[in-house]
Amino acid sequence: MNKKGAILGIIVISVIIGLVASISSSPSETYELDMTRTHGDISTAMGSPILGDPLAPITIVEFGDYQCHQCYNWFHNTKPMIMRDYIETGKANLVFVDFAFLGKDSPKASQATYCADDQGKYWEYHNSLYNSQESKIDSGWANSERLKAFAFNLDLDMELFNECLDSEKYSKRIQYNSQQARDNGVRGTPGFFIVGPDDQKQIAGAQPFSVFQRIMDSMI
Amino acid sequence: MIKTTKLVFQNLKFLFLSLIIFSSMIVTLLIISEYIFLEPYFVTHIPSGTEFGFFLITAISILSALVIPMNLFRITNLKSSKQKMSGSIFGSIVGSVAGACSCGPIGFAVISTFGSVGATATAFLTNYETPLRIIAIIILLITYFTTIKSLKTECRIDL
Repeated sequence: MNKKGAILGIIVISVIIGLVASISSSPSETYELDMTRTHGDISTAMGSPILGDPLAPITIVEFGDYQCHQCYNWFHNTKPMIMRDYIETGKANLVFVDFAFLGKDSPKASQATYCADDQGKYWEYHNSLYNSQESKIDSGWANSERLKAFAFNLDLDMELFNECLDSEKYSKRIQYNSQQARDNGVRGTPGFFIVGPDDQKQIAGAQPFSVFQRIMDSMI
Repeated sequence: MIKTTKLVFQNLKFLFLSLIIFSSMIVTLLIISEYIFLEPYFVTHIPSGTEFGFFLITAISILSALVIPMNLFRITNLKSSKQKMSGSIFGSIVGSVAGACSCGPIGFAVISTFGSVGATATAFLTNYETPLRIIAIIILLITYFTTIKSLKTECRIDL
């Protein structure tokens, strides 16, 4: 009986220690978000800050992975023209939602953007990732050290950034965003939804500016 | 070399087969590599920085359309061995599969179905897309020249 009691006691203590350890090591996700933010059928609550005029009649929702070379192509070939003709003129705005599925460094890179967002530099960090992307997936260009180096180059507070990145504060946010992509039928990156006043249209892949222009002009 | 190639493609059956192989390969590879989009509109484009990839796809499609019918000609008309045929098929498959996964729907499907193994395979095919396509072109070129040589011998073409 005493032996059984001792074993039971050890089990109970082990469970309590395990629970305490798991609670203390869980990333603390104490960030404030507008959880009601949606664009069309898509919940963008956990996505990026809005780029451009929040009151613009059209919203481009981009699902992307920082290691995807087609996202890199779109960022360099199509996005500049969209910025010039639609976002900077107030006709459209853009929200980036992470669909981090390509490699082990993809979710970490996405988390890093929100750590930069904590210091008000989401889009600067986003741009530095797509400007620094290397052609090989998981080659180390987006590992923790490099992500911290990008933050250093943007003059971020490194103590805050490192703490945020190392604690994986935003890991669940990335999971939520990737689930949004799956729930909305996105089957690869980049994937887009053009959400207008009356309807929304889906675009798959790094399509040229002419396609976005045609769809957005028909919505305005 | 031209005489030997003409000998095969004088036969309309092999010329037709060659055209089918070329058009189906180039269209499929250009769609997979996002040079052609069918939805929401039909559109073609070559983004800046991807010109070399376009060239490699075109080269693989042309060589496959040359080499596969030539080897079929050898097998059906001359009852030759099928060894070179496997070289041409292998070259075409390597060239087609390289870069096909990437971040598009095929890569997503492979990763979703096979998990970390699929992710590793996708990363490999994406990371080594250009070297793999160059290797495929070399295999197809070697097969092309050895096929020409054996056709010359087997048909006793006088040059």
